Amino acid sequence: MIGQMLGHCRVVAKIGEGGMGVVYRAYDEVLHRDVAVKVVNKDARLDSSAGQRLLHEARSSSALAHPNICTIHEVGETDGEFYIVMELIEGKSLHAMSADTGLPPESVLRYGVQIASALARAHDRGIVHRDLKTANIVVTSDGLVKVLDFGLAKQVGGGIFEATTRSFASLQDASSVSGTLPYMAPEILRGDAADYRSDLWALGVVLYEAASGRLPFGGRTGFEISSAIMREIPSPLGPPVPPGLWAIIQRCLTKEPIQRYQRASEVQAALEAVQSAGIVSASPSADPGGPRTTVLHSVQHVHVRKGDFLLLLGTTKGAFILRSNAARSRWEVGGPYFHGHNVYAMAYDGRGGQHRIWASTQSYWGTLLRSSDDFGKSWTNPQQSPIRFPSDTGVSLKNIWQIALGRPEEPNVLYCGVEPAALFETRDAGESWSLVRGLFDHPHRPRWMPGNGGLALHTVVLDPADHRRMYVAISAGGVYRTSDGGRTWTPQNQGIRAMTMPERYPEFGQCVHKIVMHPARPERLYLQSHWGLYRSDNFAENWTDIANGVPSDFGFAMLTHPRNPDCVYIVPVESDEFRCACDGRLRVYRTRNGGASWEPLFRGLPQKRAYETVLRDAITADAFDPVGIYFGTRSGQLFGSRDEGRTWQKILEGLPSVVCVRNAVVEDGSVGFGPTLPKPAPAPSRQPKSGSKSKTRRPKR
Amino acid sequence: MPVTFHIPGALREFTGGRSRVEIEHSPATLAEALSALWTLYPGVRDRITTEQGQVREHINIFIGDENMRYTGGLASPVSAGCEISIVPAVSGGCENSSVARQV
Repeated sequence: MIGQMLGHCRVVAKIGEGGMGVVYRAYDEVLHRDVAVKVVNKDARLDSSAGQRLLHEARSSSALAHPNICTIHEVGETDGEFYIVMELIEGKSLHAMSADTGLPPESVLRYGVQIASALARAHDRGIVHRDLKTANIVVTSDGLVKVLDFGLAKQVGGGIFEATTRSFASLQDASSVSGTLPYMAPEILRGDAADYRSDLWALGVVLYEAASGRLPFGGRTGFEISSAIMREIPSPLGPPVPPGLWAIIQRCLTKEPIQRYQRASEVQAALEAVQSAGIVSASPSADPGGPRTTVLHSVQHVHVRKGDFLLLLGTTKGAFILRSNAARSRWEVGGPYFHGHNVYAMAYDGRGGQHRIWASTQSYWGTLLRSSDDFGKSWTNPQQSPIRFPSDTGVSLKNIWQIALGRPEEPNVLYCGVEPAALFETRDAGESWSLVRGLFDHPHRPRWMPGNGGLALHTVVLDPADHRRMYVAISAGGVYRTSDGGRTWTPQNQGIRAMTMPERYPEFGQCVHKIVMHPARPERLYLQSHWGLYRSDNFAENWTDIANGVPSDFGFAMLTHPRNPDCVYIVPVESDEFRCACDGRLRVYRTRNGGASWEPLFRGLPQKRAYETVLRDAITADAFDPVGIYFGTRSGQLFGSRDEGRTWQKILEGLPSVVCVRNAVVEDGSVGFGPTLPKPAPAPSRQPKSGSKSKTRRPKR
Repeated sequence: MPVTFHIPGALREFTGGRSRVEIEHSPATLAEALSALWTLYPGVRDRITTEQGQVREHINIFIGDENMRYTGGLASPVSAGCEISIVPAVSGGCENSSVARQV
């Protein structure tokens, strides 16, 4: 081959050999430059169509003009041999550089950013690498990273890469798989097609190897390696690897593609942020918990441990995560996440041992449901919103008002209540969502009227005992119930006044602000309406007025005590026109007898010129004993009580308007609890008295 | 002559960091130009239009200096070499009205 011409390149010397073929140094006699020429092995057994695909893919890759991607100049065929003329790169492979102990974190971050940047470019052009590994990454003497063999793996199939590539006896159809086993993502081993997220997994393996000198998933045989990839968690990387870098590697190495970063640019941004946070050189003697990492500029993160107690705050300018412990006396604040976006709904999902935080974000650029599996350090940012109205509806998503977890035994089920009023459901943990047609196609829907906040389905309540029964509340449509798993829905508004319609007790159309259920007694629901407080003891068949002795029966926020079904908390506001705390005194009201009477709770709350409003989801109760209650206000204050509301403390002030407050205890493998579906508690023995007879002082309407 | 899109900062995450994106062929209408943009950078689509294909309420698209809302919407003609800017209608700091309406 030496001295031979391939196209207009004269082969000068052999410089390497791999499974794919032999690489030569050559000289381009037309353009007068040194090049590398890879001659694909004849025994690659490429049939003509495979050869054409190789040519096509190599041509696509040649369009990837990027400083960190080895440029392909030309692809050709001579005497039945395919050859690829490419940029000649002189440097060391990352594999050789990482051997033994790995590289300093500064270098791992510097190289990692460049690799992620190269992947981002390729993915944007629809090209998946499929065989990213340290042996395919070369670092030049001036520190420039070059990723080799982009897009080639797909076409050459199994059998012509390095020996490891061929060693998957456990695979049923190895011929359809390409790549190198220790870098392969679990979904590929399962037989799924590789996509850009498989490259992000491989990037995680590369970063792990570069940082430590060893592979995250090892074994003596292909079977052992595959098994480790499918099931094992890699050994943690401690100092000198900074926690931020370790967090990024972990997220890349999440078994489920949907839980990884979704884009290479996200990994790049995260690596850059760790670089710029200046924590790279943290000494090994630093706090064992490590310095707090900053993955996004000017965003503070909380360092969450098992047993911690969290408050999730959605505001009109972003989300916050507050961390404390069971004492709930000191708070560490993380955020703001989603700068400037409305975050109307948040939820903590601890089902099945996961620690996932959900948030809905709304801005000029649309509404998205996002999630984080690392307590806010990184969030999904899907290219396409998975919650979308089908085209035949002619309707577009405006906002997501409620994220409700399915029942504990259905860990992949979630619901979203949205604006315009509709219910969406997922059965695969948020990967795909579908519109609940039974409700959307309800003949009443055209006659639902937008409330002051728009036409929103803001509340979803599941019956924990009957899997086919659930309730939704719509402003202004009223309460609807299904008893057949969502197929059909009936209005359940008997006894609820409609103050904005000529008919005082219509079948539907009431502006219901909130409904809550006590899980131990699913037949019992409480309801806060646009003027009206109600209780139902028969699955919302009818409602009884319970506004007995409250200063106003107008309000938004409503909450059940997690253990006592007779105990409910509300925060009344003065009137429809003046939606502020009555008389400028911020008071929570509590009933402990099912609404027969209410008592004000205000010790520690501002009682002078406190024209505050607490919105419908801005209150939450934890499950400690005594119970903690937390609420946020439109003026950006957050209050908490550790003694069931007897006394209150201000936790934070100066926040943007608080729209949503949720809580969670971070446990291992247990269900996180939130207000949407508290754990069932023992049924109480005492029946409340009906409170419909007593007089309520209501403001003039 | 290609047409050039100016990409706002909030969307560059989806264009590989690019602030300018050139569409190689010559689209006749804004819809065709946007379609070419989506093909190159699919993540931009949902940020600019709703799932029903309408440009979002608070997003303006200018063809040259003209707001597309006054030149025929998505059917607006685009001429060779023109520059198309995507900008939020109200920039920065303005309270979203829907929250103010909630209470």
